[in-house]
Amino acid sequence: MGKPFTVCAIALFLHATTAQAQIEDTPNLTFNGFGTVGVVHSDEDRADFGSGVTAPDGAGHTRSLSPEVDSRLGLQLTADLTPRLTGVFQAVAEQRYDDTYQPTVEWANLKFDITPELSIRAGRMILPIFMASEYRKVGYANPWVRPPQEVYRVIPVTNIDGVALSHQTRFDRFTNSLQVTYGGRDAKFVGGEVESRDGVTVANTLHWGATTLFASYSRSRLTAEFFDPLLDAFRPFGPDGRAIADRFAVDDTRFDIMDIGAEYDPGDWFVKGEWMRSRSDSILGDTHGWYLTGGYRFGAVTPYVTLARLHFDSDTSHPGLPLAGLPPPAAAQAAGLNAGLNQFLQSVATAQKSISVGVRWDFARNMALKAQYDHLDLETGSAGILINPQPGFEPGGTANVFSLTVDFVF
Amino acid sequence: MINPVRTLRGMLSGLLLGFAAAAAAEVVVVVSSQNPVEALSRAQLADIYLGRLHRFPNGDPVIPIDQKERSPAHDEFYSEYLGQSPAQVKQHWSKLIFTGRGQPPRSVSDDLAAAETVAGNPNAIGYLDAGLVDDRLRIIAIE
Repeated sequence: MGKPFTVCAIALFLHATTAQAQIEDTPNLTFNGFGTVGVVHSDEDRADFGSGVTAPDGAGHTRSLSPEVDSRLGLQLTADLTPRLTGVFQAVAEQRYDDTYQPTVEWANLKFDITPELSIRAGRMILPIFMASEYRKVGYANPWVRPPQEVYRVIPVTNIDGVALSHQTRFDRFTNSLQVTYGGRDAKFVGGEVESRDGVTVANTLHWGATTLFASYSRSRLTAEFFDPLLDAFRPFGPDGRAIADRFAVDDTRFDIMDIGAEYDPGDWFVKGEWMRSRSDSILGDTHGWYLTGGYRFGAVTPYVTLARLHFDSDTSHPGLPLAGLPPPAAAQAAGLNAGLNQFLQSVATAQKSISVGVRWDFARNMALKAQYDHLDLETGSAGILINPQPGFEPGGTANVFSLTVDFVF
Repeated sequence: MINPVRTLRGMLSGLLLGFAAAAAAEVVVVVSSQNPVEALSRAQLADIYLGRLHRFPNGDPVIPIDQKERSPAHDEFYSEYLGQSPAQVKQHWSKLIFTGRGQPPRSVSDDLAAAETVAGNPNAIGYLDAGLVDDRLRIIAIE
C-alpha cells in the first residue's frame, strides 16, 4: 500500500524537473489491493450464515466450515491523469449470487476537480448510504470481521452507475464532506434481479478531532420481478386481487432509506454506532436497525464487542383474498395464493438481535488476524439474517457463528 | 588475545549506547526556510498527514513528505505527534485509498532524503532527526 508504482515509460516521457513536479508527478499510476481469507462455522445446520441477501449459500447447512462468506480479493488501479483528473478502477472477486468467483467491477470512474473543494465523478462508483460504505469490503479497514448485517444487509449493492458531486469544506478544525449521487444498479439474487433506478443519495460526513458524524438519505425506484408470478396470479380475482397485487408489487416502487452514524476514536479505544430506517410500500416493507461497537487497543491487540438489532416494522401476515362466496375450485386456488403471499411476507421479514465479541490482532504490517463469535437471536417466526433455510429449519431460534479471518492490504 | 567476557561486555555496552542514542534522537517537524509558517497545532499537523487539510494556515498549499515505514523516524513521528500506531495509520489510509479518495503522502527513504525534499520545496513539510536540520530548513513549533 502507498508505494507508487509509476509506469516508467510515461514517467520518463513526461518527467518534469521542478521540485514541485517531483513531488506531485502526473500522470501517475498506483496499484493497491486488499483481501480477506477466512472461514466461518455456524451451529445451525438447517440454514446458512452467508455474506448477505445475494449469497447463494454459506456456513451451516452447505458447509460446516465455509471459506465463502468473507474471503475476497480486490485490486485497484488509481490513475492521476492530470493534477485535476483522476481515474479509479477496482475489481473484486468474491462469492457471487451464482456461486462463482468471477471478478466484478466494483468501481470504474473518472473524477474531475472543478475547484479544490468541488469535484464531479462519473462512472461506476460508491453508493454512500452507510458510514462504512466506502470500505465495507476492505476487512483491514474495519474493526469487525464484517460490517453488522443488521444494518448493512438492507442494501446489498455497494455501487451505482451514475454521477456524483462531492464538496469538501474545512472550517476551523472541522472537515465536512458532502456527496450527492444519482444513478442506478441491478443486483442479482439466486432467484432473480432487483433493478434500482433514479436513485438519489445525499450523504454528509463531518469530522473533527476524534469525532466523526455521518448522515445519509437515499431514494430510488425498485423493480423486482421475482415476486410477479405470485402477485400476478391475484389479479384475475377482481378488485380485491388487483389491490393485493398492487399493494405488494415491487414495480418501479419507491424505496427510501436513511442512516445516521457516529464514531469516536481518541486512539486507545473507539466506539461507533449506526442506525438506519428503510421504507417501501411493497412486499419489502419497512425496517429499522442499529448496531453499537466498542473496542480497546492493547497495543496490536484490539478486543471489541458489538450489539445489533434489526426490526421488521410492517405486517408479516395478510388476510389475502376473501374466500367466502368463491366457487370451490377458485376458493382453493385463492387459499393457495394467500398461503404463498404469507410465506413471502414471512421470508422478507428479517428480524433478529445479536451480540458479537471478537479480537483483532495487527500481527504484521498490512495484515490483521480477527476472530469473532456472533450469537444470533432470531425474532419469533423469522429466519433472521440466515439464508437458504432447509426443511426442518425452525425460525425464531438462536445460532452461534464463529469466524476467523486474515485481512491484508497492499 | 581476545577476552570473550570483555568482548561481550563491549558489545552489550555498544548496544545499550545504540539504544540510548536511538531513544535520544528527537524527531522534529520542518519546512523550508523560505516557508513563512512558524507553528502548527497538533490537530493541524495530524490533519495534514491524514489527508484532511491541504493548506497551511496562511492559505499556501501544503505537501506532506512522509518517510518509509520501518524508518526510525516514521514510527516515532506518528506515535509522538499523532498518537497513532503504524497499524492505525495504515487502517486510516485503507479507508480512503479503496474509493480513490486519496493516497498517503509521498514517502522518502530516510532523514537525508526528507531534508533534501523539504529544502527543495517551499510548500513541503516533513519530519526528521533534529540533528540533521541545517540552515535550509526551519523547525516548526507543534503546539
